[in-house]
Amino acid sequence: MDEIELLDKIKVNPDHFSELFKLYYKPIFGYIFRRTGDFDSTADIAADTFLKAFRGISHFSYKGISVKVWLYRIATNEVNLYFRHRQKHNSLFEKIDFEKKDIFHNFLENDRKELEIEMQKHETFLTVLKELKLLPVKYQEVISLKYFEGKENKEIIEILNIKEGTLKSLLSRGIQKLREKCNQI
Amino acid sequence: MKTQDFEEKLNRMTKPEVTHLKHEDMLAGALIKAKDKSALSWWWLSLPIYIIAAFIMKSLFMPQTTLSISMHEFASKEKTLAILLFLIVPIVFSILNFFSIRKIYRTIENQKISALLHFVWFNFLMMLLSILILIIYLL
Repeated sequence: MDEIELLDKIKVNPDHFSELFKLYYKPIFGYIFRRTGDFDSTADIAADTFLKAFRGISHFSYKGISVKVWLYRIATNEVNLYFRHRQKHNSLFEKIDFEKKDIFHNFLENDRKELEIEMQKHETFLTVLKELKLLPVKYQEVISLKYFEGKENKEIIEILNIKEGTLKSLLSRGIQKLREKCNQI
Repeated sequence: MKTQDFEEKLNRMTKPEVTHLKHEDMLAGALIKAKDKSALSWWWLSLPIYIIAAFIMKSLFMPQTTLSISMHEFASKEKTLAILLFLIVPIVFSILNFFSIRKIYRTIENQKISALLHFVWFNFLMMLLSILILIIYLL
């Protein structure tokens, strides 16, 4: 089933959103995790992203961008908001009702342990991420999408809603700044 | 290190992968249930709207009655209910929706206005209706 069919199904019955969730939750969670490097913030931001997507999906129409790009766009804005305010993320996550809260928190704790172990396996990445987080958000988002997510320029342009020239200049200046910071280590 | 070598290093370095998330299924279920909350919010606002609509219809078919007279009659007969439905509910909804719009605006501030409208049209409508109910009640 392609995205358009799934979107039509969701518009008829919003419960089908779970199929979209299954398709994109892990990639989006991974993207946020590789940007923040922090499990708790990632879980909050990912939940906010999908809750906003769920509320907005009925108004989504194919006007040049795919659902995947749209989800990355929401996630990027949520992450940027988190970095700009540098404070506890006031998450919608806390407002979600879970029937079995204890089980959910156990699952979450389990995922946290696994991902923290996974993160420690990638030392170079951790060093680069630490330095990247010191750069302005506009450089963080392009570098992360290009080098951590392996996205093509075309897709990054769509996600960030910027022009090709802007992307190239942000990438060039961002890489320059990041290289200088990493060389100092 | 040259820029090109650095880019090469970024491309080659291993990155943490998210392959399995235990909490995923439960979160999906909880998110879908979240829609029921919006429905409940709308239900609260629909009560005063329904009463106002009934008063408007009454004023159309009964020339000696106006919306204002009907509202005053209702407010004097059902004082607590009138305060709850025409004062507390609209004020609470105006504030809640204002903060929702503000939060969404801050989240997608870099995007086009159409993207913002996609997200906030329902909150905006709820806020307008709440203010309208307040005005009708206070006039």
